[in-house]
Amino acid sequence: MVGIVLVSHGSMADGMLDAARMIVGDQEGIMAINLEEMDDVEGLIEKITAAVEQIDTGDGVIVLVDVFGASPFNASARLTMTRGNMEVITGMNLPMLLELAIHRQGANLEELIKIALDAGSSSIKTLSDTLNSK
Amino acid sequence: MPVFHVRMDNRLIHGQILVSWNAAFKIDHIIVTNDKVANDPLQVTLLKAVAPLTSKVSVLTIKDCVEYCNSPEAEKENIFVLAKFPEDGLALLEAGLKIPVLNLGNQAFVRNSQKISNTVFLTESGVKALKKIHEMGIRITCRMMPSDPDTEYWPTIEKTLPQWAK
Repeated sequence: MVGIVLVSHGSMADGMLDAARMIVGDQEGIMAINLEEMDDVEGLIEKITAAVEQIDTGDGVIVLVDVFGASPFNASARLTMTRGNMEVITGMNLPMLLELAIHRQGANLEELIKIALDAGSSSIKTLSDTLNSK
Repeated sequence: MPVFHVRMDNRLIHGQILVSWNAAFKIDHIIVTNDKVANDPLQVTLLKAVAPLTSKVSVLTIKDCVEYCNSPEAEKENIFVLAKFPEDGLALLEAGLKIPVLNLGNQAFVRNSQKISNTVFLTESGVKALKKIHEMGIRITCRMMPSDPDTEYWPTIEKTLPQWAK
């Protein structure tokens, strides 16, 4: 099963995992890493590496990060570029994580990446547009 | 002045710079400068990958950075220079970069560093570099965000780490 690592500024990653638990229950092979004010990128890479090693069953790992170009992204990207069998997805949101959790059984890394991207972007909408499209 | 800001930040390009500093100033060009980073193809590729969020990103050695900033080409740009460590800030000045202020951004914990604040940890060699910068008459500030005050930071360093600041 594809592993999932959440990496964010502050405690967003922990919060994301906590919120997902309320909706889809406890999940195996998902880990959250929070960047603290005092962390450097090298230290963050070590934490992400340890998490990835722990949850990768050989099927690969998806890392969800908050902001493109920021430290959680930079650290995840540096690991991914050297390790392989991983992907980094930016702009993490809860619908994205929920869809990943639901579809992890039986889906491979490529399929899950597509599911995450679709869920992440299609979940962003306004109430007005939703009502008007009816 | 082509170089409007020099920041020493060992997290290099990250959220605060791309979001807060980029919004407060119109940055045309971010130059990341540190000899080791400039010679690491993986880091160069990655740093340049965030260029769509600004307009231009370069990763240069200290020597090449100063040469570029003093060239006619730089005159047309609003340049944000991002050095990794205080030692890089000093090296920029010694190589001929003309700037009245050097800003300390994040200096995350590294081996043998001591804490000054939650965002600033300095090594002995870093403090010595900052001391030289101070003695050259350059103002050292410590601003994570553009809204932080631009007060002189050297007295805080001297007070917190007197054993290295002597």
